[in-house]
Amino acid sequence: MDYILTTNALTKTFGKYKASNEISIHVNRGDIYGLIGRNGAGKTTLMKMLGGLSHPTSGSFEIRGKNGENTEKMMPKVGILIENPGLYPNMTAMQNLKTKALALGIKDDNYLQGLLKEVGLDNTGKKKAKQFSLGMKQRLGIALALVNQPELMILDEPINGLDPQGIAEMRQILTHLCNDRGITIIISSHILDELSKVATRYGIIHEGKLLEEDSKEELFNKCSERLELKTSDLERTLSILQTMGFQNFEVKDDTINIYERINEGGVITVALAKENIQTNEIGVKSEALEDYYFQLTGGKENV
Amino acid sequence: MFNLIKMNLYRMVHAVSTWVLAIVAVFLAFLDFGIMKIMVDDPFKLFGSASSQMLGTTTITGRTTIAGFLISSDILIVLSIFVVIFANAEQKNGFDKNIIGITKMKWKHTVARWLSCVIGLTAIVAVSYGLYFGLSALFMNSFAMGSVAAYLKVLATVYFGLVAFSAIFFFFTTLFRSSVGGIVASLVMSLGVLSLLEKLLDFAVKKIFTSPKILPTDLLFDSAYINFDATSATTKACLIMAGISLAYIVLSVGGSALLQQKRDVK
Repeated sequence: MDYILTTNALTKTFGKYKASNEISIHVNRGDIYGLIGRNGAGKTTLMKMLGGLSHPTSGSFEIRGKNGENTEKMMPKVGILIENPGLYPNMTAMQNLKTKALALGIKDDNYLQGLLKEVGLDNTGKKKAKQFSLGMKQRLGIALALVNQPELMILDEPINGLDPQGIAEMRQILTHLCNDRGITIIISSHILDELSKVATRYGIIHEGKLLEEDSKEELFNKCSERLELKTSDLERTLSILQTMGFQNFEVKDDTINIYERINEGGVITVALAKENIQTNEIGVKSEALEDYYFQLTGGKENV
Repeated sequence: MFNLIKMNLYRMVHAVSTWVLAIVAVFLAFLDFGIMKIMVDDPFKLFGSASSQMLGTTTITGRTTIAGFLISSDILIVLSIFVVIFANAEQKNGFDKNIIGITKMKWKHTVARWLSCVIGLTAIVAVSYGLYFGLSALFMNSFAMGSVAAYLKVLATVYFGLVAFSAIFFFFTTLFRSSVGGIVASLVMSLGVLSLLEKLLDFAVKKIFTSPKILPTDLLFDSAYINFDATSATTKACLIMAGISLAYIVLSVGGSALLQQKRDVK
């Protein structure tokens, strides 16, 4: 795997409270990695550590395979937007970008103008950041994160509080950055439905712990319609399913989840009966991403 | 480091507070000059005949202008507010998150911010004191420059003291992570409240030792600065003052840089 970022039991404690508890995530180059978790789950704490804003209590992380002190050398290749966009309210969008650019020794105003165009703020002129809508501020935050030409962007709740149009614009920007500029993105959000439209890999965090890490396909398989089958002989059932041409199925505990031809439950039952295999349970199940998340984290409170 | 200073100067120039405080400093220069002019050249208006006899003979030298303007609480308060607002702005609006994460050595960020503060402070002092000095030289009847060498020596010492003050204000702002905390700490120093408390230390030392050679207020920066006599300071006094200032600069900037390096960004 071509990981751009991996964490190794990354932990942050505040007193006795473990805000991030031995989290190990794996982010492939080119991923849009969605971090899912409730308020206080530890998403921001994790992102702050990855963005170089917070020191881990224990554990480590690697960026492009560099760890330890070498990780610090990779930080200029990371762009961050954590919590609120850090802007000078009395400055224009261009002046905000220029402030960061000066710190990095970038003098090309055309480059900065290009960034503003990329996030749709090239026509804001002399309008000051304090007069921007939340969506504009978030987009300016993204432009600021792009100034140092990052390979990896860490975006904490960038769609939080945006109206539907703002969310759609943000989705467009993120997809563009990933597909056209090849930037890997780690993004957290409460809005699972929206996250599911852009993310290609997911990490589900709850009470500081990583509960699950899945690719989009794996997660959607868990959530999508499936045929759940329990029989008296698991091994022979799998063999029969293969004989019948089923390919997209998996075994979880003593249950077989079949993700294709889910209306063929009757045919399967007959085929198993011919081989003297008893069907204990069979039925179509489905879950929305949100339901799956609630099931995993144990309730709907505080989401 | 040079790029970080350039960034800080850019945001300083674009901050409304910088210009407001610069205007206040210029206003203070006019105000302080006006008061001194009346007190020295025409004291009768202010104090009546008895007091005017005492003040009327005063001669204003170059060094008197330093004592009258740079070692006064009002300009110190303006400078402290400038330093505190500037030092805290990045954290207050969260802009520091855009920079600190990608800065390899985070302490550089703090040192660059302080050095930028010193540049801003120097500009404000140069304009306001320059104005005060110019007005005094041009319009004071009793102005006599005196020794230029002695004047420059004292000016450099007092300027260095102001830089040390800025370092201390900067440290408190970094420590408290708040403008309010920094301003309270700065006012306590600028207004001489801390200096009064330090005199109690002197009193205690005198009680314990019969004739101590050095008192706490000789070494504590704010007391040393406030008690520094610009009109008659010897070279030795200037060197001691500069030494104390340097020690406080190193401690304050070093402490601020250490805090930045070790602490998480909020």
